[in-house]
Amino acid sequence: MKKVIWIFALIALFFLGDRVGGYILKSLAEKSQFRYSRMYQQDIDADILLVGNSRGLMFYQPYIEKKTSRSTFNLSYNGMPIDLAEALVGDYLEKNKAPDLMLLDVTMCDRMNNQLVAGFNMYGPYSPRIRQLIRDTSTTMANATILTHLYRYNSEVFQRSLTYLNKSDEDWLLDRRILQNIADDAVNYPEYNITIPEPAMPALNRVIKMAKEKGVKVKLVINPYFPAFADRIMNLADFKSTVEKATGEKVYNYSKSVTDIDGFGDYQHLNKSGARLYIDELIKDGIFGSLKAQETMKLK
Amino acid sequence: MIFNSIAFLVFIGIFLPIYFNLKEKGQLWLCLVGSYFFYGWWDYRFLSLILFSTCIDYFVGLKMQGENDQAKRKQLLIISMVVNLGFLAFFKYFNFFIGSFDAAMQSVGVDVGYNTLNIVLPVGISFYTFQSMSYTIDVYFKKIKVEPDFIKFATFISFFPQLVAGPIVRAIDFLPQFSGGARKFNWDRITSGLGQMLWGFFKKVAVADSLAPFVDQCFAAPEGFSSLHLIIGIVFYSFQIYCDFSGYSDIAIGLARILGFDFPDNFKTPYFSKNFSEFWNRWHISLSSWLRDYLYIPLGGNRGGGFGSYFFTIIALIIPVFLSGWYWLILVYGVVFAFIFRFAKKDIKNKVEVFTYMNLVITMFLGGLWHGASWAFAVWGYLHGTYLIVQRLIGPYYKKFVQTLRIPRPIVVAGDIAMVYFFTCLAWVFFRAKASKEQLLLGIDDFDIASQYIAGIAAFEGMSFGTVINKFMVAKGVILIATLLFVEIADFKFDFSSLIKTNPVFRVISFATILWIIAFFGSFGANSFIYFQF
Repeated sequence: MKKVIWIFALIALFFLGDRVGGYILKSLAEKSQFRYSRMYQQDIDADILLVGNSRGLMFYQPYIEKKTSRSTFNLSYNGMPIDLAEALVGDYLEKNKAPDLMLLDVTMCDRMNNQLVAGFNMYGPYSPRIRQLIRDTSTTMANATILTHLYRYNSEVFQRSLTYLNKSDEDWLLDRRILQNIADDAVNYPEYNITIPEPAMPALNRVIKMAKEKGVKVKLVINPYFPAFADRIMNLADFKSTVEKATGEKVYNYSKSVTDIDGFGDYQHLNKSGARLYIDELIKDGIFGSLKAQETMKLK
Repeated sequence: MIFNSIAFLVFIGIFLPIYFNLKEKGQLWLCLVGSYFFYGWWDYRFLSLILFSTCIDYFVGLKMQGENDQAKRKQLLIISMVVNLGFLAFFKYFNFFIGSFDAAMQSVGVDVGYNTLNIVLPVGISFYTFQSMSYTIDVYFKKIKVEPDFIKFATFISFFPQLVAGPIVRAIDFLPQFSGGARKFNWDRITSGLGQMLWGFFKKVAVADSLAPFVDQCFAAPEGFSSLHLIIGIVFYSFQIYCDFSGYSDIAIGLARILGFDFPDNFKTPYFSKNFSEFWNRWHISLSSWLRDYLYIPLGGNRGGGFGSYFFTIIALIIPVFLSGWYWLILVYGVVFAFIFRFAKKDIKNKVEVFTYMNLVITMFLGGLWHGASWAFAVWGYLHGTYLIVQRLIGPYYKKFVQTLRIPRPIVVAGDIAMVYFFTCLAWVFFRAKASKEQLLLGIDDFDIASQYIAGIAAFEGMSFGTVINKFMVAKGVILIATLLFVEIADFKFDFSSLIKTNPVFRVISFATILWIIAFFGSFGANSFIYFQF
């Protein structure tokens, strides 16, 4: 009998601790200023919605807002695949006022990332789309989420939400400069091709469709690469035309728009100073729309 | 099948209830069938290899028993050695030796053009081969009796908890446990076995697999990271490999205990070692003691050695020079041997000591190669052999030095532990360095990666935390390592293992806590264990 009590005590204690722990972590996540916590907890009223993977972070919000006088919201995250972006954009448009413009870096269509989908487990309780995505990715993971609440918070996404508990995440962008030897070595980087997984283009189309249905103007871009590294991507032009063909949208190619070595954190990412140069280019090319028109809008 | 998989959970869920409801013979049969199923889940074709090895050693043992002629007994032992080591040499080292020979010939302008074969390395071959060989060697030296029951013998070779990644359990420790009646459902054994398994899962799933991505990133391209980043990388690797391997051992030992078998410890907090001899008494104990008993001592051990030592020394030292093309090593050997023989001339005691050094190097070199067919593993072994020699050489002077300066003992102990850990990490760089296929095409090999790594650390550039990429992984890793060390120190002080047995409240709380930690920190990608490749 004692042994049975022992087993029940263990099970009871595990679930009690798990639920209490899960509740505490949930409360912390909800209080966070991290982008997704804000998105699911608050009403966002942004003019421009920015979407991408880690390369989408170079849509440096403080500078865009300063230069365009328009509010922004960035959904980008390291390694974000387009199917996860689809769920997040869907939730954003459903919960919040539709933005005027959605700017999306299409290089995020180069991979699917089940591991990151697992990382967004913590937002499952707020989003049927994320719950479905997790079920589609792995039923084991989906069942584990039901079994233990602590498991939901077992991710870097949660750790980031703790980092931004009391501060804004809008400044999240590399601040370092690429090491000189790495920069010099870019010409020797093995040639490679961007591959597009089969589900990526249909998912991108659905994202565009959702946005357009809400009256959001969609612009697709290829964010900058370190120029010598961009030369090693052998099918960048093909990639651009494939996306254009699949979506019927023009893709603005900024892959070599920043040439200043001080503007890069590594081959694929601009740092803050590089992001400023890039955003100046976007503004100059009217990607954010006419500034005069924007100012008029603000005055209204 | 790996322990951290759903398949294993299902397997053990079916296995245990049947096992405890069978009689002794039935349990043995179930263990054997279960073990072959467990192994065959990975690749059933290699079951024939285990079975063949088992049959050979079983019949060699039987033949030896009825044979009094020492020469014939020796012949039988040689048959067993040739078969076991032959399999190992073919499956594990064939391509390595062919490739190395080819490279060596090319370096002297001869193109032999041997082709390597596409050979799949059978999981755990190094472990079960050593386990099987220990039986025939012990029978030959009449240390154990022959096992006449084939089922018992086959189960001893293929016992699934420790089949693919150890610990290597000797026949002398394991075979006697098969007698004594059916194993009953024993609550104490089950709770303590479960405790050890849970701790093993914590080490593997939470610690090792969480540290792995950071380590992989560091070793993929060391030249791209700051010194601090690389230092964190090697510290993380030291704990990754420890937790990965000792985690497997804990699961294996815990599972065996549940099934009614007692295996000796395979790890005893090795990073708290104060010298290298102690390190090898605490790290992968089943392998180091195997190498000690079946290689080091037969070579002469601490007693020096004779012709065998000379022969193996020449083989061990000269062949790598030609195979690697590092001819400058001959100069290094010259300086080292001049130094050693300068002392050796004094008296016979020093001569014995010289051979002891050689025996140490040979044992550690072969121990390194046991881990994998790569010169980087051999260098890792060499380094540890060298550490042991240097320790023997300077140990007495160091003791005197410490006594003369009257340094407080805690400081000496902390310094010793830090020193051993530092040099162990240095050796780990060679152990972990592995060039990718792309890097090999660019002419970058394992040694280049290791050199880049050490040069990157030695440059001491970028020592601020700002230069470290992915601070979240670092923070998580530090928390997990701190938890591990805290529990290991607390276990040493308060004997957690006994508390788990005697105090039910402590047991419930500690089990629940480990489960919470695994749920919150665990990496659930069903990652394979590092030692499977060995």
